[in-house]
Order: sequence, then C-alpha cells, then structure tokens
Amino acid sequence: MTVLVAYASAPEGREALTEGIKEAHRRKSDLLIVNIGRGHHDLETQELQELEGQLTEAGLALTIESSILADPGDAVIQIAQDRGVEVIVIGLRHRSMVGKLILGSTVQRILLDATCPVLAVRADKL
Amino acid sequence: MLDSAMAALASLADPSLLIMLLIGTVAGLIMGLIPGLGGTGAVAILLPITFGMEPPQALALLIGALAVVHTSDTVSAVLLGAPGSASASVTMLDGYAMAKKGQAARALTLAFLSSMAGGIIGAVGLTLAIPLARPLVLSFASPELFMLTVLGVSLAAVLSRGNIIKGVSAGLLGLILGMVGTSPTTAEERFTFGSLFLGDGLSLVAVALGIFGLAEIASRASQRRGEKQTISLGGGWGQGIREWLTHWTQVIRGALIGIWAGVLPGVGATAGTWMAYGQAVATAKDKRQFGKGDPRGIVGPESANNSVEAGDLIPTLLFGIPGGVPSAMLLGMLLTYGIQPGPSIITEHLDLMYLIVWSFAIASILGALLCFLSVKQLAKLTKVPFAVLAAGLVAIMLLGSFQEGGQLGDLWIMIILGVFGWLLKSTGFPRAPFLIGFVLAIPLERYYFLTDSLYEGFDWMARPGVMVFLAILILPMIWALIKFIRARRHTNLDDGHRDEQPEDDEAPLKNSTWSLTASGIFFIAFAAALISSASFSPEARLVPQLVSTGGLIFSSILLFIEIRRRLRDRTPKADETLAGEAEGILGTQPVKAGWTLDAKFALKTFLWMTGFLALTAAFGYLIAVTIFIPAFLLIVARARLKVAIIYTGVLYIVLLALPSLLPIDLPQGWLNTLV
Repeated sequence: MTVLVAYASAPEGREALTEGIKEAHRRKSDLLIVNIGRGHHDLETQELQELEGQLTEAGLALTIESSILADPGDAVIQIAQDRGVEVIVIGLRHRSMVGKLILGSTVQRILLDATCPVLAVRADKL
Repeated sequence: MLDSAMAALASLADPSLLIMLLIGTVAGLIMGLIPGLGGTGAVAILLPITFGMEPPQALALLIGALAVVHTSDTVSAVLLGAPGSASASVTMLDGYAMAKKGQAARALTLAFLSSMAGGIIGAVGLTLAIPLARPLVLSFASPELFMLTVLGVSLAAVLSRGNIIKGVSAGLLGLILGMVGTSPTTAEERFTFGSLFLGDGLSLVAVALGIFGLAEIASRASQRRGEKQTISLGGGWGQGIREWLTHWTQVIRGALIGIWAGVLPGVGATAGTWMAYGQAVATAKDKRQFGKGDPRGIVGPESANNSVEAGDLIPTLLFGIPGGVPSAMLLGMLLTYGIQPGPSIITEHLDLMYLIVWSFAIASILGALLCFLSVKQLAKLTKVPFAVLAAGLVAIMLLGSFQEGGQLGDLWIMIILGVFGWLLKSTGFPRAPFLIGFVLAIPLERYYFLTDSLYEGFDWMARPGVMVFLAILILPMIWALIKFIRARRHTNLDDGHRDEQPEDDEAPLKNSTWSLTASGIFFIAFAAALISSASFSPEARLVPQLVSTGGLIFSSILLFIEIRRRLRDRTPKADETLAGEAEGILGTQPVKAGWTLDAKFALKTFLWMTGFLALTAAFGYLIAVTIFIPAFLLIVARARLKVAIIYTGVLYIVLLALPSLLPIDLPQGWLNTLV
C-alpha cells in the first residue's frame, strides 16, 4: 500500500510532505510523491536522498511520479487511482470566498473527486 | 434569414462551387497531414490560387480546406505519434496509446467522427451567431469599429500563450508592418524608404507564408522522420463507432469549448484543444485511462479543434476582428474583394455568410468520408520524411507569394520574415498577434480618423458601446496582472483548473542569446519606426507614432528582463555547476542554448531558400526548381537518387502545366529578360 503526497515547494507542500512521511511510518506504507508545483520546483536532490535513506531504514520505498495531465488535481487523482493509493495527503491554507469563486480550488477538487481517503493538513495554523 | 440560408444552399448546387469545395477539401486534407502547416498554411497556400476567382468560388475553396485541416492531422498523430499540427498533439496522447495496443482503427474512427461532428456543430454555432449578433453589429458606428480593431489586436496579444509583454510587442510590430505603404488618410508613402515596390504595402500572403510557413519548415526540416515505425491500422472500426455514440455528450461539450476558444482572438485551435482535453479529464470519474488510450481523450479534443475554425469565423465575419490566424487571412482576402466584414457583410452579403456556413458543414462531412475511404493511403503518406516534403513546400510557397504582386521583392521579404518568424517561434513570442496586427493596421487607422473627424474631441469615448469595449479591453489585463502577482508570490498553487498545454515545448531557445537578440530587434524596429515617422505629415504620423511609442515601452521592458536575467545568470558562477548537476539528476535540463544544432539547421535551411530565390532571380523559376529540388533532396533530405529524379520530374511537369490550368504566373529571371 502507498501514501501519496502532493508536493509543491510552498508551505502547503512542505506541510503535506511532513505529514505524509509521518503517515507512511504510521501505516507502514511506501511513499509516493507527486510534484504539482508550477514550473519545475521539485525537491532538492539532497533532501530526497535523505528522505529515501530514512524510509529504507524503516523498510519502505520512495517513488516520485508525474502525470501527462496538465491540471495538478487531475494528475494527483489519476495517479492515486492508477496505483490504488491508500490515502492522499494534501496541504491547504485559508482561501477567501472571492478567491474560491474566481480562481477555483485545486484542493477542493481533489477532495471532491478522489476515490480514496484524503488527509488535508493546514499550512497556516493558528 | 431562412430564405437567404436556403438560397445559399441552392447556390451550392452550382457545379463550379461544388468543384471548388471538393478541391478545397482534398487540399485541406493533404495539408493537414503535413506537419506544421495547419489551417494557416492551408489558407496561405490556397489564397494565391483564388486571386482570379469570384468571391463565392474563392470562399468555397478556402472554407473547404479550413474545415477539414484538423480532420486529417490526426492520422499521423495516431499512427506515428508525430502530430500533423500542434493541436493534434492532444489527440496523440490517447490516440497513439490506443494505436500501440493495435487499435489504431478505433482511435481514427473516433477522431474522424468527432471531427465531423465538431465541424457541423461549429457551423451551427456560426449560423446562430448571425441573428444573435445582427442587431448589435448594426448599431456599430466608426468609434465601436475602431475599438473592435484595437480589441482584436490587444486580445490576441493578451490571450495568446506565453508572455503578455511578448504578445503585445509582437502585435504592435505587426501593426507597424501593416502600415508600410500608402497611408489611408493622406495618401503619402510611409516606411517605404523611397521604394516604389513597398508603396503598395507588404503582401499578406508573403507575410503569412514567411512568418508561419517558412519558419515552420526551417524548424522542422531537421526532423528526418521515417525511422519511426508505423503502426498498422488494426481493427476496431465498429467499436469506435459504438464508443463515439456513447460519448456524444463529450462531442458536444468539446465542440462548444472549441467555438468559444475560436471566438476569443488569439486563442487558437491548440489552446482550445487542450481546454477540451482538460475538461474531459476533469469531468471523468475514472481518470486512470487518460494518456493510455481513453476514448474520451480523443472525442472531445478532436471535436473541439474542428469547431475552433468555425468559431474563429464568428468575430471575423461579424465584427471584422479575426479570431485566429487563418481567419485573419480570410479577412484580408475579403477586404481585397471590397467586402467589408462587420455591418456591411450582414446587410449586403448575407448570402456569402450562409455560403460559408454551408461550405463548412458540407466540407466537414466530406472530409470525414474521404478520410475513412483513403485512410490506408493517408497512412502511407505520413511516412514521407518531412525534409522530402520541405523541398516541394518551399517551391510552392515561393510560387504562391509571387502571385499577389508578381514581384520578386515579395519573395525576399518572405524569406526575411521567415527568419524572423523562426526567431519568434523559437524564443517564445506568439506569432498570431503579429499577423492579426498586420491585417488590422489599415482598418484601425481608417476607423480612427473617421471617428476623429465625426466627433468632437473625446466625445466618442462616452458612447456606451465604446465603454463596454474599453471594459473588455482592460479586464483581461487586470486579470493577467493579478495572475502574474500571484505567480510571483507563489500563492497560485491552489488556483484551480489548469488546461494549458505543457509550457516551453515549442520555444527551445527561450532565455538565451537568441531571445535577447529578438528583443533587441523589436526595440530597434520600434525606434526606427518612431524616428522615420517624424518626417510624415501630422495626420499620417499620429497612429504610427502612438504604436511605435507603445512598442518602445514594451520592448524596452523585454530588453530589461532579458539583460537582468543574463546578469543574474552570470554572477553566481560558483553555484551554477552544483545547481546544474542537481537539475540534471531530476531530469530537467537547464536551458543552455547558444548555437544549438537545431538553430544551425534552421539557418542552413534559410540559406537554401535564399539560394533558391537567387537562382530564380537569375535564371527564372523553372530552372531554379530543377536545380534546387534535387540538390535539397540529395544533400539535406538524403533521399535516394531515383526519388529525387522522379520528384523533380513530376514537379517540373506540374509547374509547366500549372499556368495554363490556373491563373498563375511563374517568376521570370534576369536571364529570361535578356533572351
């Protein structure tokens, strides 16, 4: 079984990653990272290697996957469905009403469209 | 309204119209197969043939081709994984995957049927738009028409893919280029440098074929396709038809998205198709099969890319602002016939409008039918390497742009613009606003002076129509600014659906010396235009000065960005190697484009074209063809000797016969004038 983390180099993405690593250890599941940031702001190589070492110690595997789909929400859901992922971990922060109305929300779409449990973590805690 | 529609249908029973429609459809299908040509190439190549025709015949030919270009471009996308046009690359995602599973026939059935439906729905959309827009259009006076032309150029610049500043600069430069020649208000010569030949303005065909056609050839000539194995057609025709019927909602949705993308200037078939694909994915519950052969990934986009061309025609014919590049050329053609799109086409030439609608619908059906019948032959055609096609295309394009003015100068301009178009394409400048600006330059100026002479000061700004257009003009800019700021702050992660196609796949030389050069060229061109316009009379000077001042501002921003990036790249020398390594591991190569292989090849291709033109100027067209074609085939395309001889022979005979079949002149050389 696998835990999918939707990663982007932003507070939301970092929060999702930390929580995802915890979740992987808790569930004894492999970790699957999907990069959803605009552009190519992926994880630093060094950090990835550290993370991989940390997971291998616990007997878990780390994979990074991408999708041909342009929309990050669709990409996450496609990979989740394809891999039969156990849980999706996403980070979110406060959105104003207008923000949601005009700009839409990727997180909202993942929550509504996902066919597996979704763990949402707030990046802007109190 | 209905009787003029029926009268138009009845007029299509005229055999000369039907034959033109058929020829147009076949030509469109063939051009759809050739990578990089697309609707723009199809219209640009066919346009010169129509110069001697009556408007209905010419329209039947061009619309026939335009309607089906996106039907056949699927074939190579599905069978080879090499799309015939940028918009077919969407179909490739699922179509090629399906073909690899041995179900190419299923993918093609879905694609052809959806293309047909998209075309028909597009034609219906165009029909419905006429009565809807009619009262609106009839209320327009010159201030509204002026605002519409401004809107046409600026929306194209803002909505085109890529950087807005680049889009606006390209649009403004197109406007300047369109002003070369005689001023519409004072009849004085502008930017002609005393040349009599430039006095008529630049030829639309030469500009379009240069900026799009030759540029496309140069950037693709290095592809010696054919190593790729072709996939056999396989079975699944019946399954394809059944699946198409079950996904009829996707067909309609795709077509509607296509029409909308077509109506917006600058949003062309490519963006519309990606939007349709994104929509299909977003609304699907089970997303697993997308990219691996999901029929929904073919149906929607294929339907959209045909209806885009119909949608493009809506603003073109009703408001006189082209929705895309092919329709910009169509607009140019109509203007040469003295048919003014906008209010006058609705009142005086309604029959032509309906003729276009019917031609579009009939051609869509005919195109799909022909594709089904000839799919085996089409599959064989896709195997021809592009370099082999390029030789003939160069010859045909040069011949085509010679027809408008009958002057060799047009051909030189075409090659220069070809190099420029290639530079724009590879450094990520959108080319659509450039051509739209070129076409709209003269109408813009004419409407401005009409407005200025009819109204006191800025009174015309207070007209409700003008205010609405001002709002439409400003809103997308504010929207773009908001998006830009959010992207800067990285707060746009959660901004919802993204339909855009993967970035940077078409601009390999972005952020390099090349893009710096391109910005430099823009800056110099605007500066030169500003300086030379100082000598015009006040009336002729106003618009060029406004445009070039605006251009100077935008291009200096571009230059500033480019120079700042270079300086920034240069300072952290120590970190560079480390960062480069890290990025290399993660699979994203940093852009380091200096004198790349592709650039070398493209410039070499332009040298070949120049050589061809020099030969033409010296010895005449026919002799130039007999030297250029075999040389290009043997040296660049590395074709076999037999192929080269047959190719040249056939082309020579066709060219020899052409002037007696069609109103076409072959360029004569310096030698011919001596004899």
